[in-house]
Amino acid sequence: MLLPTFALIFFINLYPLVRGGVISFQRLTVFTLNRPRFIGFENYRTLITDPNFWNIILNTVVWIFFSVLFQLVFGFILALLLVKPFKGRGLYMGVVFYPWALSGFAIGLLWSWILNGQFGILNDILIKLHLIKQPISFLSDPRFAMFSVIMINVWYGIPFFAIMLLAALQSVPKELYEAAQIDGATMWHRLVRITIPCIKPAITSTVLLRIIWVMNFPDIIYGTTRGGPAGATNILSVQMINIVYYQNNFGKASALGIIITGVLLAFSVAYLIVAEKGAFEL
Amino acid sequence: MSQAIYSLRLKVTYYRMICLVRFIAARNGKRYRLIEEHIVCFIIVNCEEVVELRKFSFVVLIVLLFVGLVFAETVTLRVIQVFTSPLRTKVLEEIISKFEAQNPGVKVELISPPYETAYQKIYLMVSAEEPLDIVEVGDWSLSALASMGKLLSLEPYLAQSQLTGHLVPGVLDAARTYKNTAYLLPNAIYVKTLFFRPEITSKYNLNNAPATMEQLLEFCRAITKPEQNQYGFDFRGKGYPTAFIDIVMTSFFDDIDPNCMYLKKDGKLIFEDKRALDGINFYLELFKTAPKDSINWGFDEQVNSFVSGITPYLFQDPDTVGLLNELLGSDRYRTAPLPLGKGGKAYPTIGFAGWGITSYSKYKDIAWKFLEFFNSPEINALWCKDYGALPVDMRVYDIDPYFKSDIFHGWTVMFGDTQHYQFTKYPLDNEAWSEWNELHESTMQQVLLGKMKPETALKTWADFWKKAGLGK
Repeated sequence: MLLPTFALIFFINLYPLVRGGVISFQRLTVFTLNRPRFIGFENYRTLITDPNFWNIILNTVVWIFFSVLFQLVFGFILALLLVKPFKGRGLYMGVVFYPWALSGFAIGLLWSWILNGQFGILNDILIKLHLIKQPISFLSDPRFAMFSVIMINVWYGIPFFAIMLLAALQSVPKELYEAAQIDGATMWHRLVRITIPCIKPAITSTVLLRIIWVMNFPDIIYGTTRGGPAGATNILSVQMINIVYYQNNFGKASALGIIITGVLLAFSVAYLIVAEKGAFEL
Repeated sequence: MSQAIYSLRLKVTYYRMICLVRFIAARNGKRYRLIEEHIVCFIIVNCEEVVELRKFSFVVLIVLLFVGLVFAETVTLRVIQVFTSPLRTKVLEEIISKFEAQNPGVKVELISPPYETAYQKIYLMVSAEEPLDIVEVGDWSLSALASMGKLLSLEPYLAQSQLTGHLVPGVLDAARTYKNTAYLLPNAIYVKTLFFRPEITSKYNLNNAPATMEQLLEFCRAITKPEQNQYGFDFRGKGYPTAFIDIVMTSFFDDIDPNCMYLKKDGKLIFEDKRALDGINFYLELFKTAPKDSINWGFDEQVNSFVSGITPYLFQDPDTVGLLNELLGSDRYRTAPLPLGKGGKAYPTIGFAGWGITSYSKYKDIAWKFLEFFNSPEINALWCKDYGALPVDMRVYDIDPYFKSDIFHGWTVMFGDTQHYQFTKYPLDNEAWSEWNELHESTMQQVLLGKMKPETALKTWADFWKKAGLGK
């Protein structure tokens, strides 16, 4: 009975992973598709010795940290607002959650026109409100580009946190709040002492899931800046796409994919050990 | 005993069936593989075990009918395009339906992947020998596809075709980039020229197109008024800006190798020449007359900005014509030859796209028929007119006065003046080419942002090409 499941996992998960690992040690470009040859760690060496590599790593850390942080904060606030029933709650939830239903690439294209430094609607609104005089190059000025793509990602990711945390909030026993109220606990105390500890497992797992997704989520950046200008928004997953689409070097892209997998694996284990304070076992 | 006879009879029936299937196949001029014959016969013979003989005959009849239908199927040509756009797909479908009407029994299935992923899809499909008969090949993908060995040499067909006599000179040479063999039949050529908007520039008393690069900069500076949202040059910073940088840089030279854009006639790389630095500095000056945002502009933004009049001077390919006619109307823009540089010359490249046939296609002859049909003057005119490329067949220019109209002024001048406009080629057959565009784009962006010195960029480029074996 286990065989079909195993076969499915093997072909869908394991085989591509192993194949990706093998390719990462080959010189496999569009010119050598039919005759790949093994070149050892050459792909990894070229990647790591690239002068832009550490800049890309730094960008990736910034991208993940701020995206997930703001998504968590705003998602949590949203979940708290939605936990008590009110009239029109269903409709409100529908409107608030809709960004989650859009494709990342479509969001990238949509926002690249909204934030366009020349014909963008956001600049137009800001100028008409007399808040700025010159249009801001949101996506083409290296000072703003990373901020802009993170903002788009936060807009996109809030609903996910809200949905997950809302589900967790609804399972917190009401008796705890009643008891706390009798003891004279303030709102803040109830939040810190009851709500957060009760939904901590949900927060931990949602944050971990989001970190993995955000790291593997090149859609928004690819749709807006393709990692530019001059590498200001280049993160690992975008660089991987650029290597495939621009350089047509599949071996090098696989090597980067393996690096991403390794980093995520190491991070996930470390994160769970810290978050579960030793309760986590491999 | 009866069991043995029964089994023997089954075997005999089985082999009779195989003969019958082969006979039908032979009559239809098709060959079925052995395994397929056996599958058909196995089904039939096994039916006999469960039905009576009379019923069996009935089943045989039905199956024969089915087999006949299978064999009578039409030939399906599978065609994949690269430069997909709604407009282009519409024209392509129109041409395909004309071809199908002329060739009963032939069906053409068009595959239109999004442009961004089209090359990768084609590379992978072709390398895995997935069913494809005709592949769109652009100048930039030719060497990669041909080096895989999956494209058919069209030389035998070309030798017998009458089309070759009417091709625009140089087109076939351009198509023979890889190992001096034509692996595609170009159906359109692309050469960049200057587009401008007289109704905008005339407000600043600039009625003529700039003839030189110096003049272009002067004009652009004169009309740049950021507070009025008016700029000069329609800059391209993202998504293959290579050709735009090179047009400006090489205009400072007068000794570019006709066979390689990045080499001088003495065989040395242009990036090591002092004139390249002048070229880059000039390009930076041009950037100052463009919106800052344009460092993140690709084709769409360029066209948008040109149409809205924010930047009235644009370098682009003829396929922009189709778009501009639709968005602006053909009377609201003009074309002029590329401005000449300090070297007194301009170095455009001939880009081309066309169809190639896969080496493993089952219907090579029919595929060639499609290629010839596509390049026939009437169809080529239709294709180039609606899509906005330059026709490859010289007869088209006589048939259709459209290609002699004002819109094509820029190209007409450039093709006629070989002294000032020297066509050259990119090193497309060099393996490093596919890595070049990303490096070129990102280093250029750093220079534009002031994060890298022009000298450093030039050195990076020179080192890159030296490593790739170009230049002395």
